[in-house]
Amino acid sequence: MPTDSLFAIAPIISGYLQLSGTAAAVADTIAYAVAVSILIVAFDYIFGWVERKTIAKIQKRHGPTFAGKYGILQNMADFVKLLSKEHTIPKRADKLLFLTTIPLMLSLSIFLIFLLPFSPTLLETDIGLGLLVIFVLLSFMPLIIFANGFGSGNKFSAISAQRSVIMLLSYEIPLIFVIAAVGVLANGYSISGIIGAQSQWWFVVLMPIGFVVFFVVMLAEMERPPFDIREADNELIAGWLTDVSAPYYTLALFLDYSRMFLGSLLISIIFFGGWSGPFLPPVVWLLLKTFIISFFIMIIRATTVRMRIDRLLRFGWTWLLPLSLLNLILTYLLFIG
Amino acid sequence: MKIERSGLVQGARDLKTRGYSYLVKITAVDYEKYLEVIYTVRNLSERKDETLEVEIDPADAWVPTVMGEFRAADWYERELFEMFGIQVKGRNVERLLLEKWNGKAAPLRKNFTWNAPYETSDNQ
Amino acid sequence: MTTRINIGPVHPSTHGVLRLVADIDGDTVVNLEPHIGFLHRGVEKLVETRMYMQSPPYMEKLDYVAPMSYDEAYVATVEQAMGVEVKERAMWVRTALLELQRIASHLLWLGTMANDVGQFFTLFMWCFKDRDLVLRLLEEASGARMFYVNMRIGGLIRDLPPGFEDRAREALDYIEKRVKEYEDFLEKNPLFMERMKGVGVMDRDMAISLGVTGPVLRGSGVSYDVRKDIPYYVYDKLNFEAQVRSEGDCFARYKVRMLELRESIKLVRNALSKMPAGDALGMQVRLILPSAKNREVRVSRELPRGECMMYMVADPQRPYRLSIRSPTFINLAALGEISKGCKTADIFAILGSLDVVMGDADR
Repeated sequence: MPTDSLFAIAPIISGYLQLSGTAAAVADTIAYAVAVSILIVAFDYIFGWVERKTIAKIQKRHGPTFAGKYGILQNMADFVKLLSKEHTIPKRADKLLFLTTIPLMLSLSIFLIFLLPFSPTLLETDIGLGLLVIFVLLSFMPLIIFANGFGSGNKFSAISAQRSVIMLLSYEIPLIFVIAAVGVLANGYSISGIIGAQSQWWFVVLMPIGFVVFFVVMLAEMERPPFDIREADNELIAGWLTDVSAPYYTLALFLDYSRMFLGSLLISIIFFGGWSGPFLPPVVWLLLKTFIISFFIMIIRATTVRMRIDRLLRFGWTWLLPLSLLNLILTYLLFIG
Repeated sequence: MKIERSGLVQGARDLKTRGYSYLVKITAVDYEKYLEVIYTVRNLSERKDETLEVEIDPADAWVPTVMGEFRAADWYERELFEMFGIQVKGRNVERLLLEKWNGKAAPLRKNFTWNAPYETSDNQ
Repeated sequence: MTTRINIGPVHPSTHGVLRLVADIDGDTVVNLEPHIGFLHRGVEKLVETRMYMQSPPYMEKLDYVAPMSYDEAYVATVEQAMGVEVKERAMWVRTALLELQRIASHLLWLGTMANDVGQFFTLFMWCFKDRDLVLRLLEEASGARMFYVNMRIGGLIRDLPPGFEDRAREALDYIEKRVKEYEDFLEKNPLFMERMKGVGVMDRDMAISLGVTGPVLRGSGVSYDVRKDIPYYVYDKLNFEAQVRSEGDCFARYKVRMLELRESIKLVRNALSKMPAGDALGMQVRLILPSAKNREVRVSRELPRGECMMYMVADPQRPYRLSIRSPTFINLAALGEISKGCKTADIFAILGSLDVVMGDADR
């Protein structure tokens, strides 16, 4: 089993090798993979519907009502319609980049969800440096968007790509500091360790500043308003997705909700005790918390206006960075020192 | 206030020194024998309007620009050229104001033929 | 190095068919030029070929957000050309309807402007819902929801229906409450304030030299409101203030319009309560003789978007020439000048604060 020690990459890899060594473990892994895949698709689908309905209610509309009961089949209908549309590749686009980046991002975000354990008994993927690995991989996302934006051969996408890198600059360092503070509190970066450390108090109580910084950064990471600067539809039409046509756009929507799922999962695991909770089974607790957080993010989407990119940069360096540093120092002084 | 074409810029300048600093509109009327270009300017503090009316010959239709006095004249002067075929001298215009319009005819003149074919152009 | 980007004419936030060609350096706008003309219908020429009262429908299509205001401005021009006096009650009814139209127009502006700074359609939907209440009132008064054509020479096509006042008061009370909510909703959001304050600043001198009008001019500290300064109809008998802010930025323009919304609500209430009894019917269209008396007529009206000046050279039968000074045209001409040096995202905040309607700009 993986250890909690820092910089223990070797045992992780060997842990993986040992697992795949036995047939039972392989079967177990496949079963787990199927279960999690279903979970991701189900979350994306249901969340897509809930988001439409909720925003419609906030805006005093009805939202989808026609397809199925309460319009529950509307997303399915959209999905079928989008898939049946023509797929165009712009002439100026770099074909390789244009065609590979969105599937790559989608698989990356799904892979990251696979790295998260959903209950104390499903620990196959719980690796010692879990959180660090996740955030290292997550920081690749803006770079892939950058590649896609330039690969589209479209000025709006190119601007979007530039913004993507600027955003990365503005929030990545605060994020690392918050993760470091979490590591200090949980004495390691394994997800089960982090959840175990929250058995008494949730981290949201222990380091509220860190939570605020983390939440803001995750909003930016998930391209949710007010930080949907990359695909600001009022300025950049759809940002890096401007030239993406129907089938790939379906993937992009899927990607959007998968990232949302990932972000909410991370918030609920790191700050809200993950699967811990009375009466209900752990998986249900985790999903419930995730869903509530997603719902909150959705309400933010319906009510706020978009931030400007230069303001975000300033905000990141003048507020997020000092706050995250303060959070790290406070955490160390209060709980360790 | 009627004014000669040669005295137009000076007249505009005089009005501006008297506080008429807000240009309301530049327009023209085609009276067939002559074209009348009308500049309406306003004194915002006294709430008074003043007009400068210039009569020009349709065959030799041009007016000097008043851009130096009123920056607001920019689009109005360009419109004047496109709608009446009145050249505005003293400024250079890179493109036509209205998109997809070749600027060859003068639609608001009375001799405009309604059903004449005209080509659209993609101006930059 | 500058990049030239072409925004529109098909773009989510260009308010119709506006094309902007922007040269940007990094994220800063170096040069911006609006290209117009996609909605040019040659209304000024068309009017010359129609009898006087055949033209109001054309006028209404100029500004499809506030059609009645344009209609009224044109009919008032024809009235002056024919030397017809407007009936006493008709003046009051017209004033009330024009102010209702202003409320409807400003509500639509509020929604679209919030969209332009990245609101996800929430305020847009709310405002549409409230605008609908006003449209219902206008429908009662005129019989149509969007293009009313209810102005007639000397009056209106019909008087206000019975019970109109009560329903109008009810709707206005509701809208007043909502406007307060919208204001809180936006102004308590620091992100919104950040997007609006200090953005697209146009000082007093610049506003005058660029010739902008209406709320844009008043947002730059120039107190010029046709309703107040050259009162027409019964505006001089009603109690209201021309709203002026001196900052000249997007927030000032936003605030001026929000305050105007309140003033308009007050004006409608005031006009409804003071309205005298009597006859408001105008001449029927087929009874109008070709009888224009005055040769040259100049009429100024304060439309929701700014001052419209109609200059008509009248023939007995039809206009010899009608020149329309449309507010959007000149406000849009200033866009390039204002947005020099701002950030790319601010172009749309400024555009939203100018409140453009492309039908009005192109004519």
